[in-house]
Amino acid sequence: MDREAEFRRLYEAHRAAVHAYFTGRTGDPQSAADLMQDVFLRVWQHLEKLTGMPEDRQRAWIFTVARNLSVDAHRHQHTRADAEQAVAHEPALAPQSASTAASTAVIAAERVAVAGEAIRRLPESQRVTLTMAAVGGMTSAELAAALGVPAGTVRYRLSLARRAVAEALDRYDDPTEK
Amino acid sequence: MSLDDDIAAWAATVRLPDAEADAIFERIVATPAPALPVTPRLDPSWWRHFTADFTARMVASTRPVRQAA
Repeated sequence: MDREAEFRRLYEAHRAAVHAYFTGRTGDPQSAADLMQDVFLRVWQHLEKLTGMPEDRQRAWIFTVARNLSVDAHRHQHTRADAEQAVAHEPALAPQSASTAASTAVIAAERVAVAGEAIRRLPESQRVTLTMAAVGGMTSAELAAALGVPAGTVRYRLSLARRAVAEALDRYDDPTEK
Repeated sequence: MSLDDDIAAWAATVRLPDAEADAIFERIVATPAPALPVTPRLDPSWWRHFTADFTARMVASTRPVRQAA
């Protein structure tokens, strides 16, 4: 077996989902990249154990490692608290500025920022689920297997998360509402 | 823009760039692969020795006992 080729296959198959998972957990893509590296370092170290496993068991193994690392990261680095603190210190978006912005690109960028802020403010379970779906491109079934929850729960979380983001965008579009 | 477009646009801002992903890959594979654990193995000839010994004992134990004259 070409060890590096087998590792690359696993890495390419799962890296986006793992990075999305940590982005959802920490709220910070760079911390997520560091944690993703830790996960795949363990995959590299235990490659012989993973090789030959069915695809779904490989994914389950990788996400078990990811969840454990995430718990450690929360315990030791308080990444969630840091993320919330960062959000709290971000300058508030001024919806009025949209009305003065002539450029469609500026408005689009502001809408993305509003969506991002709404996502960062979601409860963690919803934020992780939405991030993995949007950034990792995972289906409900894949999310259910990775997160260890029923597919119905995944769909419910996605629905709540999307509604919260939609409401934030509605408020941005029409600041006089509510 | 629709909600899906907004979420997709946000996702693009946090997605790990391919170049960074490749750099992480290279860093990982540069670490030495762990040595395979050495598990104690039986001597390859153990079965031959075992069966030879077993056969000898079986033959010895089933040999008719000579009656004393």
